[in-house]
Amino acid sequence: MNKVLILAAAAVTAFAQQGFDFKVLDKLGANATESTNITLDGNTLKLASAFLGDDKDVKDVVKNLKGIYIRSFEFAKSGQYKEADLAPLRAYLKSPRWNKIVDVKETDETSEIYLLPLANGQLGGLAIISAEPKELTVVFIEGVLNMDDIGKLSGNMGIPEINLPKDEKKSGKTKKE
Amino acid sequence: MSFEGDLRSALRREPAPEGFAARVLAKTAAAERAVVVPFRGMPLTLAMAAGLIVALMIPPGLHEYKQRQRGIEAKDQLMVALSITRVQLKQARGKIRQGTRAKL
Repeated sequence: MNKVLILAAAAVTAFAQQGFDFKVLDKLGANATESTNITLDGNTLKLASAFLGDDKDVKDVVKNLKGIYIRSFEFAKSGQYKEADLAPLRAYLKSPRWNKIVDVKETDETSEIYLLPLANGQLGGLAIISAEPKELTVVFIEGVLNMDDIGKLSGNMGIPEINLPKDEKKSGKTKKE
Repeated sequence: MSFEGDLRSALRREPAPEGFAARVLAKTAAAERAVVVPFRGMPLTLAMAAGLIVALMIPPGLHEYKQRQRGIEAKDQLMVALSITRVQLKQARGKIRQGTRAKL
């Protein structure tokens, strides 16, 4: 009986520690006119780092990351995605390991930022959900970060500005015909 | 002479000239050597050697090229991802400031 309980507890722990499957968010973009879908796992991040040249700030932030996942969608009109499709991600982030540090709700917009605290003041991840009527962005960064890294991420850090006007913003995206 | 006699005379068996068989065999062997050695054997060997050299040289170069292309693509995606993250963090910070000012 004890063995069964131990096995069950181990299974629950393993399940809880499993990462989030971002495929479940793909249906959010079913009606999107533009979508940015970026999945960079640990190996790809290491490969990318090798091509960063002398960009020390970016290298420092990226060196301990296990993954970066971006899902960003733009819609021609409001009501083109279901809030319910975000429920699996919100449920995942509701686990006690994650702290919601920002929760801004305006008329028809929400911004949420979650951090995964670790020991020694470090972080195990960062998640951002930004939902507007015609735009939805999910950012999920997995791996060891510190607060300085978050500061660097919100600063310029030598990253080229890709925040173009609304109608043509962001490169590396797919545009639906 | 009768017709039968003429025919028998025409078809009579005559021994081959001396050395005929040896000359025929020598010519056949020379012809075989001329065809097989210079026109088949050598080019095939050369083609195989060239193929082997190419097979040994191209894959490392091709792998390196593909790896480089993957790296550049990954770096570009990383920069886009970091840029989107920065925009989202800035937007959230802006909303918090707006909210704080509104409360004050």
